[in-house]
Amino acid sequence: MQMNNLDSLPKKKILSLFMTCGFPTLNQSKKIFNEILSHQPDIIEFGLPFSDPMADGPIIQEANKLALRSNLSTQQSLDLIKYLSKSKNNTSFVIMCYLNTVRKFGLHKFIKNIKNFVDGIIIVDLPFEEEDAIKKSLSKNNIHLIKLISPMTDKKRSQKLLKNSKGFIYYISATGITGSNKLDYKEINRNVKSIKKMSSVPVLVGFGIKSKKDVIDIFKKTNADGVIIGSALIQKYFDLKMDFNRYLKSLKKFIKEVKV
Amino acid sequence: MKTYKQPNTVGRFGEFGGMYVSETLMPLLLDLDKSYKKIQKDKKFKKELNDLFKNYVGRPSSLHYAKNLSKYINGPKVYFKRDELNHTGAHKINNCLGQILLAKKMGKTRIIAETGAGQHGVATATVCALFDLPCYIYMGSKDIERQKPNVFRMKLLGATIIPVESGSRSLKDAMNEALRDWIKNVRDTFYIIGSTAGPHPYPRMVRDFQSIIGKEAREQILKVEKKLPDYLIACVGGGSNAMGLFYPFLNDKKVKIIGVEAAGRGAKTEETAATMTSGTPGILHGSYSYVLQDNDGQIKEAHSISAGLDYPGVGPEHSHLKNIKRVKYFGVTDKEALKAFQTCSKLEGIIPALEPSHALAYLIKAFKNKHKNKVVILNMCGRGDKDLFTAAKAIGFDADE
Repeated sequence: MQMNNLDSLPKKKILSLFMTCGFPTLNQSKKIFNEILSHQPDIIEFGLPFSDPMADGPIIQEANKLALRSNLSTQQSLDLIKYLSKSKNNTSFVIMCYLNTVRKFGLHKFIKNIKNFVDGIIIVDLPFEEEDAIKKSLSKNNIHLIKLISPMTDKKRSQKLLKNSKGFIYYISATGITGSNKLDYKEINRNVKSIKKMSSVPVLVGFGIKSKKDVIDIFKKTNADGVIIGSALIQKYFDLKMDFNRYLKSLKKFIKEVKV
Repeated sequence: MKTYKQPNTVGRFGEFGGMYVSETLMPLLLDLDKSYKKIQKDKKFKKELNDLFKNYVGRPSSLHYAKNLSKYINGPKVYFKRDELNHTGAHKINNCLGQILLAKKMGKTRIIAETGAGQHGVATATVCALFDLPCYIYMGSKDIERQKPNVFRMKLLGATIIPVESGSRSLKDAMNEALRDWIKNVRDTFYIIGSTAGPHPYPRMVRDFQSIIGKEAREQILKVEKKLPDYLIACVGGGSNAMGLFYPFLNDKKVKIIGVEAAGRGAKTEETAATMTSGTPGILHGSYSYVLQDNDGQIKEAHSISAGLDYPGVGPEHSHLKNIKRVKYFGVTDKEALKAFQTCSKLEGIIPALEPSHALAYLIKAFKNKHKNKVVILNMCGRGDKDLFTAAKAIGFDADE
């Protein structure tokens, strides 16, 4: 069986970059992912667009909407990931999606389409109470089901959730008080520490990381093994009034910056 | 038949239901489930709720024999369960009172809700005023436009209305935004879901609070007719009024039960909200149930003249009842509903909301000159005041003149 890149992640300062497939168009999306891949981040998360992304903020919602505008199909997204995997070296490929997408496509067909080049999958709305069948099929094909832990997950639940976890753990850093996007480093550190006591796989912090400074601070002030950047990568497209060429350039600059 | 006992402990109605939400919400739902189970055994809670039902809502709502309509149909004896006479003009208040008492017990200090027709928004704003809690209502901008009287009502009651511009700008999108608000404000916020939809324990909790409708109707009909009804009919969007009426009758095998969905411009067209006639099982808003979706599982936009039924999903218990064939579901078009809206107003002196007008339309159509000597209970779950402008426009009456 093929090696899973997630099993050989670096020991620290792991960088994971999230981007929505097919955003803003399928062709432009290829260019964006090629740019991202050329920086060889440790992980790329491929978001599969969904009409009702209820766990995502307004920026990723908008990216989903743009991607779906031209009726992008699940197959097209998976083909895009396959195409990119040809230039893949040590970068881990992870799919992030909602359960209805996988269900409707068919779990077995889905796995058949991604095995050998996708290392992990995050199904945002699949709680661990419901995961058994899916986890089993994924594990047979050496694809890791990545677990999310939120500040609301208590210790007892974390223990159950983290049992046999593989790849990495996605710690959702935003505790969220409306309007406040400030990262609470103390809370993050406390929770990351507690997770690390229960599991040996790397803990990555995601949600609300926007700049080089945020990345540096996470590594300085917390015990996290890595960071996930998503919305901030997409935000630039709207900041630049959807000027694609300028966006690509700014993306290059930004990724260089956050590779600390 | 085995005694009906749904859902199971993890919120499954047969294969439907469940909790499909992100890990930020899971702990909250489990906590809510625990608290809900606790208050079910709490006598003080029950007493408080019953007292509010009686003195604040005006329950029990009456069971009215619709003589003129019955004569017009020339079929069964039709009774209306008149939940449109409730305070705030619809059945929604039953559930809101239950949930806000629970929110109080859980120490929550901020209330959010989604609304389509505005009836649930008004009911939520009402109970928030009564219990002095800040209230935020998510409402699609399309619905704000077509339900203006209810928007003003909510504002008068002190609620903040947050217009939702995403997607089809109606109920589905309002629910997405309310869920996002909840994810952001998990610690202090209680989300009052207005329908038997969403993740467990909502479908069960909302059904339980609404089942006062069926309990009363059962007693009332036994008193006047000395027997159980032959048919129950109610409209189904998310399905709360219908579950409320149906639930206490599910074990009465002889009672035939009919749910009426909004077929918009026709169940076979793209412009429909008839989820169970035109949809397939999928996951929306945290539960597995019938939904309107394409081949890739993207949720389609629904269409109905009635904002309260304009939803591409349906409560998981309805999906289960459809699959076990305990309830039959039919679609009724905008046009048919509008006609029934006028017929009922003229014949009974009751202006129904556009939602129960769908149930009325089915009754008139399917029972005409048939089923004589039978008894039907139709859930008159809301009054039509909020729909006057929409209906006037659709009928071609200039309401400004």
